[in-house]
Amino acid sequence: MDKKLIPRGLQRTSFTKFLLWVLPWTALLAFGTYAIYLCLAEGLFHTNMDNRFAFGIWIFLDLTVIALGAGAFFTGFLLYILKRKELKAVINSAVVIGLICYTGAMLVLMVDVGQPLRALFTFWHPNTHSILTEVTFCLTCYLIVLIIEYVPIVLKNRQLRQIPKFLVFEFQLHKLMPVIAGIGTFLSFFHQGSLGGLFGVLRGRPFAFREELGIWPSTFFLFVISAAAAGPSFIMLTTWLVEKITKKRLVKPSVYKFLGKVSGIMLIAYVLLKSIDTFIWINSTSPGNGFPAFEFYATRSFGTWILFTEIVTLGLLPALVLLSSRLRENRKLLFGAGFMVCCGIMLNRFVMTIQTLALPTLPFDEFLTYMPSWEEVATFLFVIAYGVLLYSFTFRYSTLFPQERELEYMPDEQSSKEFANSAGERSWWQPRFVTNFINRIASSKL
Amino acid sequence: MLPWVYEFHWTVFHITFLLVFFSVFVVIVTTVVMAMRRTQQAEQQNKIDSILWHSDFEDLPPKARVCRHELSGEVKNRMCDNGFDCRSCKVHTFLVSQQHEPHSVQFETYGFTMPPYRLYHRGHAWVQEEKDGTYKIGIDDFGTRIIGRAQSIELPEIGTHLSVNGKGMLVRKQNAEIRILSPIDGKVVEQGDAEKGWLLKVKPDNKEKVTAHLLKGDEVPNWIMREMERLQISFATSGVGATLADGGELVPDFHKHYPKADWDSVLGQMFLEA
Repeated sequence: MDKKLIPRGLQRTSFTKFLLWVLPWTALLAFGTYAIYLCLAEGLFHTNMDNRFAFGIWIFLDLTVIALGAGAFFTGFLLYILKRKELKAVINSAVVIGLICYTGAMLVLMVDVGQPLRALFTFWHPNTHSILTEVTFCLTCYLIVLIIEYVPIVLKNRQLRQIPKFLVFEFQLHKLMPVIAGIGTFLSFFHQGSLGGLFGVLRGRPFAFREELGIWPSTFFLFVISAAAAGPSFIMLTTWLVEKITKKRLVKPSVYKFLGKVSGIMLIAYVLLKSIDTFIWINSTSPGNGFPAFEFYATRSFGTWILFTEIVTLGLLPALVLLSSRLRENRKLLFGAGFMVCCGIMLNRFVMTIQTLALPTLPFDEFLTYMPSWEEVATFLFVIAYGVLLYSFTFRYSTLFPQERELEYMPDEQSSKEFANSAGERSWWQPRFVTNFINRIASSKL
Repeated sequence: MLPWVYEFHWTVFHITFLLVFFSVFVVIVTTVVMAMRRTQQAEQQNKIDSILWHSDFEDLPPKARVCRHELSGEVKNRMCDNGFDCRSCKVHTFLVSQQHEPHSVQFETYGFTMPPYRLYHRGHAWVQEEKDGTYKIGIDDFGTRIIGRAQSIELPEIGTHLSVNGKGMLVRKQNAEIRILSPIDGKVVEQGDAEKGWLLKVKPDNKEKVTAHLLKGDEVPNWIMREMERLQISFATSGVGATLADGGELVPDFHKHYPKADWDSVLGQMFLEA
């Protein structure tokens, strides 16, 4: 029966091996379920959050996964709206990752609220003065969009498509996908932005507060652009990880390089805007509110190193690697840079949530420390386990990577050659000595 | 969320926000409803076969979607985006109008018997016009050799209407079940068998352009050569390693020589079924 569910022509591991893979993740899922039960049944005292530290690991990781899940909307936008056909090779995977990230984030938010049944109040009694209202509305709609995008992937299963109704519905839904992708892009733009805007409007937290551009603080735009930069890198990394685990080639090297390039372009734009934003904040916004900006970096935990790491080490550096066609040829550099982009986004979301709350703002305040409880960590492990399981089942029983069949035949040498053949020329913005330096790094063994 | 609930004010911002939110919601709902409605209409209009083919065609690898005019050497690097239905293809119409040289006639192609008086469908069915205006349909030599001895062939009943690229017949072989695509539109008027040398006799709906999409002449040898390549690939991916040497001929009942191959996958790929 299992074999009949696997797409024709795709090689999958035996059912026993698959069960062995699934088992530890199911155990982790059960452990997380217990932690969630404790938080919901007995109360939020199981967490180490309090009135002062209201945003803990949950919000930090929620913001991170939502940024990493942006690959779904951005890939959809590039494929269906801008017609970049090469991304067809990863769109299904991007949708599944997006769905996992967003459902996971929503689930954690429900636990965070403490009384999930009252989630309805957000819609029925919205606080029209809160930027979170927009986030809630957009997240809910976008989750519906992701589910609609996920349905055709499931219905394409070999046995399900034997049912005429499912086959035709999948086909018709697929034809309407540009509309869905357009809506997804619109919603993502607003909720990614509003999540950033949320920090930018915190007047009482001068570390996060930013000047407005139009009706939105600058953090609105920075969150959108950074998410668009991280999304393609995360898809690149997850695809590579699945390739390593399954020992298969799933997409052509050119797809990786394209994702890297897109990520690089968005990242350099982000680094530039972030630098301008930081410059304005240091010289105008923060002093204007009575705080010399460098006072915020006086603590040992959050020194200026964190700002440097965020903008230069995990921003500018990977951006330069990803923008160079020569460096993108080197797999280790390409995936290394992608990994750095994802870490950079994670650090940015950490700074915005944890550092913002930890720093004292009133004369009698002290630097606050916070350590998540095991229940908080276990709840997030639940999301990871759920994500791995959903992805594993979808990968086994649906076609996530349309190029997989074709690549199974292609010998390794041919694939490597293809990686090398698309070697680009020197980018117009690079001085020759930079090109030479890059070439030397690219040709060295890492 | 609604005007009469909790601090709603008739301000431009509130109204714009609600309008945008509800517009998004309406578009999402409308899209899903539209997909459901189209599904219902397609079922009523009996378009399931055509949709199944389009869905299968979308999943075909680039090597299987090569345009017939690339096969004949008229154009380079052209992929079919018309579901192998040249009747509505403008490029095909144009290129056919440019053809002057008569097609070559070969009986044997890479060891396969492919008579020039027959026309060939990309799903390995042949079509031959009869004097009475009907058309005989069968599985070509390439397809027959891959399938070998079938356990059963399920033919459509007399009177059944077939449509191009819809289900023509069903072949069962061990664990594999393969549908052979119908090469033409028309009504089944007679059933044949292996002894007669054909499987179906069909009366076409419309005499005009009934076979315009089928391969003929110079296209056939090049197509067969590419099919050999595809067969080689499908074998390489089905877990039996290298099997076909370049330049060799396909033995009859190929299946018998490689019983351990994933035949479900091989037959699916060769007969264009996802």
